[in-house]
Amino acid sequence: MNLDALTRTSGEWLRGTGPESDIVICSRIRLARNLADFPFTNRASDAEKTEIERVCRSAMDKAGLDLDYQSLVNLGPLDRQLLVERQLVSRELSNGDGPRGVAIGPRENMSVMINEEDHLRIQVMNSGFSLPDVWEQINDLDDRLEEQLHYAFNPQLGYLTACPTNVGTGIRVGVMLHLPALANTKQIEKVFRALHKINLAVRGLYGEGTQADGDFYQISNQQTLGKSERELIRNLSDVIPQIISYERQARQEWIGQRRQHLHDQVSRAYGVLKTAHTISSSETMHLLSSVRMGINLGLIDDLEIRTVNELFIHTQPAHLQKIQGESLEVDERNIARAGYIRRRLLEGRHDDETAD
Amino acid sequence: MTCQRCSREASVHLSETVDGSRRELHLCGPCARKAGLAPPDPPPNAALEAIVDHLIVQHVGELVGELARASCPLCGQTFMEFRTGGRLGCPNDYEAFAPGLLPLVRTAHGASRHVGKSPRRRTPPGKSPGLRLRARLREAIAREDYELAATLRDQLRQEDADR
Ligand SMILES: [Zn+2]
Ligand SMILES: [Zn+2]
Repeated sequence: MNLDALTRTSGEWLRGTGPESDIVICSRIRLARNLADFPFTNRASDAEKTEIERVCRSAMDKAGLDLDYQSLVNLGPLDRQLLVERQLVSRELSNGDGPRGVAIGPRENMSVMINEEDHLRIQVMNSGFSLPDVWEQINDLDDRLEEQLHYAFNPQLGYLTACPTNVGTGIRVGVMLHLPALANTKQIEKVFRALHKINLAVRGLYGEGTQADGDFYQISNQQTLGKSERELIRNLSDVIPQIISYERQARQEWIGQRRQHLHDQVSRAYGVLKTAHTISSSETMHLLSSVRMGINLGLIDDLEIRTVNELFIHTQPAHLQKIQGESLEVDERNIARAGYIRRRLLEGRHDDETAD
Repeated sequence: MTCQRCSREASVHLSETVDGSRRELHLCGPCARKAGLAPPDPPPNAALEAIVDHLIVQHVGELVGELARASCPLCGQTFMEFRTGGRLGCPNDYEAFAPGLLPLVRTAHGASRHVGKSPRRRTPPGKSPGLRLRARLREAIAREDYELAATLRDQLRQEDADR
């Protein structure tokens, strides 16, 4: 796999289409699985991890899966970071040590991490609010791997995982939401409190402990035992429409009460992005968030959501440095970032666009 | 940050916009409860460590003594290592540490029985020949018994070929 190509493409999940895609960026499901015949990754020797990698890779081949394997051992820190920014591998896998890797599906809608906290972390992501589709895809992928592999499973506790918080179904169901209006009016904290009460977790764009830069929030289940995969998916799916409607309501109130003010904020954000010559990552996220909402509210009409979604990812540090083809200090990155955004905003306009 | 009503560490942070002006509240747990504001329930993940501590304290003597000595014969992990690191060593640990682990699992998930899909192939984790052979292989290497190690490696290859 040519990682440099990732900077010229974008994953399926960034398409900006699918149900409720004005607010739901993507839907993702992850399954944690372990081989019965090996100690968990944290206790496996390098020789055992090599063996685990070999067994899993051979299973993926035998299952006839169209996945491209990338060993993390041979990758430099920039390439590993690129995969993290792309949501294809976790930080834990990127920063880990010993034999480990990731198998990536075409269009980046699937990835299988090997020797993360669990031997296998299988992930499927689709753009928009489409958990049933994602479940169908990942369930099929899991079935095909299970025919080739011997998973650690116990009838009482289900799939056995390195951390008991994942035991049972091993499933993590997540939806990434863009909630600028709820964040701006601070109503978001009420939503979080309500979600915590029903055992759902809220995280930022890049997982646990990260700040919700760009007003992106990932909502996911915590419970993995005692309910079926479908029930757990339904539990999460049931609350998402409510959050979507709170966000829409907050946007409408905002635009109703302070239309000029909001229009001004959105246009200024767009203006700064189109003209800045140096810009930090955090300011970029903040401005892109306004612009994204502006497009959805019809306040900006010459820009595609997809372009904005891609900019969120392509302006991250590793992406920028790969695009520039050199490693850059923070100041240089800020200049490169501004230049890149100016170029993309010029090509991203509707009227300039001919074909996809 | 300290509580606005007393000098304890604040654990509840609220801010709301009333008529365009923003109001912030930083309160400790007890003051928040007095003000009728319940602090948010911690998510189960974050609570796990606290739950383990609680269980250990609750069962001092009886359970702690037993658990303090518990270790998995197949991977060498001890229950105390799990307690500090939060990760288990191998699938067999769920059986080896069952008395300490099951109450924990029940508290974290609010359930103790798996519902959902299951693989067709099932070997009880402790009975996995691969896991056992690998445990013996590790021991042989630690003892520098390379002859036994070579034999065990051959057996593992055979196991693998049989599957
Ligand atoms: Zn107080
Ligand atoms: Zn063990």
